[in-house]
Amino acid sequence: MEDKIKRTLSFYFSLALFFLLLPIVLAYSLGYKIDYHALRAYKTGIMYLKSQPPGASVYINGKERKELTPARIEELKPGTYRVDVKRDGFFPWQKELAVRPNMVTKAEDIVLFPLTQEIKKVCDYDVKDFIISDKNYLYYMTSAGLFRSSLDGTNMKRLSSYSDWPEMIVGKKFSPDRDKLLYFNKFHIWVIYMNLDKSLVKGKDSVKVEEVLTSPDPIIDVHWYSESRHIVFVTDKYINVGELSGSEGERNIVILYKFNASPKSLFYDEASDSLYFTDSTSSKDRAYLYRLDLRQNFFDQLMQRLKKEFEIRYEKRDSL
Amino acid sequence: MKKEILYRRIFEIIPGLLTWTTLVALIVLAIVRPVWAAIFVIMFDLYWAIRVGYLTTLLIFAYRRLEKEKKRDWLKESKGLARINGLEYDNTYQAVLFPVYNEGLDVLIPSIEALNNSHYPKDRMVVILSVEERGGVDPWESALFLKDRYKRNFYEFLVTRHPDRLTGEVKTKGANATWGAKVLKEFLDSEHIDYEHVIISCFDADTCVEKDYFGCLTYHYITNPKRTRSSYQPIPVYHNNIWQARSIARVIELGSSFMQMIETMRLEKFVTFSSHSMSFKTLVEAGYWPTDMISDDSAIYWKCFLHFDGDYSVMPLYVTVSMDVATAKGIIPTIIKQYKQKRRWAWGVENFPYVMAGFLKNKRIPLTKKIRRSFHLLESHYTWAVWAIIVTFIAPLPLIFGGGIFRQTTIGYNLPSISAALFRISLATLFICMLISMKLLPPRPKDVKPKERLIMVTQWLLAPAIAAFIGSIPAIDAQTRLMFGQYMQFHVTEKTRKNPLH
Repeated sequence: MEDKIKRTLSFYFSLALFFLLLPIVLAYSLGYKIDYHALRAYKTGIMYLKSQPPGASVYINGKERKELTPARIEELKPGTYRVDVKRDGFFPWQKELAVRPNMVTKAEDIVLFPLTQEIKKVCDYDVKDFIISDKNYLYYMTSAGLFRSSLDGTNMKRLSSYSDWPEMIVGKKFSPDRDKLLYFNKFHIWVIYMNLDKSLVKGKDSVKVEEVLTSPDPIIDVHWYSESRHIVFVTDKYINVGELSGSEGERNIVILYKFNASPKSLFYDEASDSLYFTDSTSSKDRAYLYRLDLRQNFFDQLMQRLKKEFEIRYEKRDSL
Repeated sequence: MKKEILYRRIFEIIPGLLTWTTLVALIVLAIVRPVWAAIFVIMFDLYWAIRVGYLTTLLIFAYRRLEKEKKRDWLKESKGLARINGLEYDNTYQAVLFPVYNEGLDVLIPSIEALNNSHYPKDRMVVILSVEERGGVDPWESALFLKDRYKRNFYEFLVTRHPDRLTGEVKTKGANATWGAKVLKEFLDSEHIDYEHVIISCFDADTCVEKDYFGCLTYHYITNPKRTRSSYQPIPVYHNNIWQARSIARVIELGSSFMQMIETMRLEKFVTFSSHSMSFKTLVEAGYWPTDMISDDSAIYWKCFLHFDGDYSVMPLYVTVSMDVATAKGIIPTIIKQYKQKRRWAWGVENFPYVMAGFLKNKRIPLTKKIRRSFHLLESHYTWAVWAIIVTFIAPLPLIFGGGIFRQTTIGYNLPSISAALFRISLATLFICMLISMKLLPPRPKDVKPKERLIMVTQWLLAPAIAAFIGSIPAIDAQTRLMFGQYMQFHVTEKTRKNPLH
C-alpha cells in the first residue's frame, strides 16, 4: 500500500478514535453512565471504601461486589445504600452511605477489628499498679518490687525491692524531667526517684521510694511543677505547693489558695504552670472558673513574699 | 514599508502570545473553574495519547520504508535511467558545501572521508569548505590541509573564507553557506556547467553521508518531474558519537531523528531540516540561503516556497546522514548544550513572521495553500511549546487549586487515574521507539563496554522526564524572545570527538 494511503487511513482512524473515545472518557470522568440502548446518559456517583486490613468483601444493599477493599465502586445511581464490609476473622463494618450525583462518597477510615483479640501476659508478678513512660517503658509496682520492661514485656529489670505499695493508688505522674514518678492515694503522696543515669550498683536498688507528705485533708489531684522539684497538690480545702528537696521534716509546704467550696473541676496546664479550677463565691450558689498562675517569676515572687511574711511572723513571735 | 514592519512585528508576537495565553488561561481556569480545567486536561490527554499513537504508527511506516529502500542499489538504478529533460547520471554533478565555524580536523576528516567513500564518481563531485573568518586561524589552516590532502580525489576541492560582518548579514550559518555557494557559482561558471546539472548539499561540518546517499539523491533528482521545485531531505541520525554520548543526549537526539522520520510521512508539512540537498539552479534563482536568519535550514525552504509562488516541496530521501550527538562530559553541561541546541531549533519560529509577511506580499499563492501552510507552521511550534507543560505541569493544577470540594467530585476523583492511564498509553510507544533505535544503531565500537547496549535500551526510561523539562521549555524560551523582539544570535553547537582522527 502506498505510504500516503496508509498515512491517510491512520490519520482518519486516529481522528475517528478520538471522537469516539472523547464522549466515553468524558462521561466516565464526569460520572455519567451511558445507556446505549436508550441512547441517553444519566448521572452516577462513586463510592470509595478503604479498610484496615485491606482485602475485605463489599456488600451494597446486601449484594456482594466483585471489588475488594480498597474498592472503587462506580456508576452507582444517586441514593442511600447500606454498605457492609466483611472479612473472615474480623468484626463486620456496616453503614448507610449516601451517593450523590457526580460526587465521590468516601469511607476511608474503616477499621475491622479481629474477632479473637491477641492477649499476652506481660508480667508474672502480682501487680498493684503500672505506668507507661513516654520513653516507651513499662513500670510495674509489684509485691516483689518495682520493675521496668519494654512495652512488650521483654527486657524486664527489677529496679527496687520496695513493695510497700498502698492498697489503692489514685494517680501517678512522671515528673517533667522524667527522673521522678509520683503516686498518691487519698492522704499520702510518694515519689520514686529513678536515678537511671547513674551506674547501677549490684545488689543495691537503683531507685528510691519516699513518702513525701501526708495531708490531713483528702487529696483530689497532684501535679508536678515544671522544674520537677515541687509538687502542686490540691485537697478539697486548699491548693498547696510542697518542695521535694530536704528531709521530710524540713519540707516547705505553702497554701496558695483556700477554696470556699470543694472544687468541682480542675485542670493543671503544664505548659504555662497554671492551675484552672472552679470555686464558689461566698454565696455558695454559683461556681466560677479561676486561674492560678504558677509561672517561675510569679512563683519565685510568691515564695519570697511568703518567706518574708513568715520571717515577720516569727520575728513577732520571738519578740513576744 | 512601515506597515510591513508592523505586520512582521505582529506575526512575531503571535506564536509567543498564543502559547502564553494558553498556559496562563489554563492556570487561571484551574483556579477559577477547576472542573472546566479538568475537562480540558482530560480531553488534551486523550488527544495527546492518540496523537502519539498516530505518530508512532507513522514512525513504523517510515522505518519500514527506510529498511526497504536501504536494500536498493541506487547508483545502479541511477545509471540505468534514460535521459530525462536533459539530465542523466553521467551529466549530474554533486556539490557538497560544509559551512565551517571552528570545527577541527577530528570532526571534518570523517565527514570528507565519508564523501570519499561514497558510491558516486568523485570526478563529478565538488567539495566546498566555507570557513568563517571569525572562527580564527586554525579552522582555515585545517581547511587548507584538507584541500591539500583530498583535492586529487574530487573534481574540485574549493576552500573559501567567509569575511566577518558583511553588510546585510548576521552571524549565521546561512550567511557562510551563501558565501560558499557563490564561490561554487563562480567555479561552475568558469567550467560552463549548467546549474540544473548540479545538486548542492549543504551539510553541517559533522555530517557523514551513507555510501548510497548521492546515488539515491541523483535518482530522485533525475526522476523528479519538478526537480528544481524540490528540496531533498535525508533522514538525520546522530550516530557519529552515539556510543560515547550521555544517555540523556542520546534519547533527545534519537527523538529528533524519529520526529524527522515521522515528518517524511507528512509531506504537506515537510520542510527542510539540518543537512539537506537541492538543485543549484533553484538555490541561485531563489537567492541563496537567508543571511539574516538563524534557522537557515528551514528558512531556505520557505524562501523557495515564496519565490516559486507556493510551487515548492520537499522530497524525503530514505537514506540517512549521520551527525554528532550534542553531548558534554557532565550531565548538567549536556543538558545546557542540548537546551541551547533545541532553543536554536525552536527559533525556527522566526519562519512564521517571515512566511506570513511573504504571504501578504505574494498574491499568486492560492489562499487555501497559504492558510494551510501558515496553520501547520504555527501549530507545530505552538504544540511544541505547550504540550509537555500541559501534560506535566498544568494537569495536576485543578487538583491543587480545586480544594476538597473539587476532589469530592467524580471528575476530581477520576482526573489523576485517567491522566495516568492515558500517560501510560503514551509511554507504551516508547517501547517501539526503543526497538527502532536498537535496529538503527551502528555497531558497538570495540572500546565501548557491552553494558552500554543495555543502557541503550534502559535510557528510554528517561524520556518522560526529558520531555517534561526539555520538551517545551526551549520552545517557550524562543517564542518569548521573538515576542519581545529579543532576536537570538546563532549559537554553534560545539562539536568535538573523544578520539580525534588525524
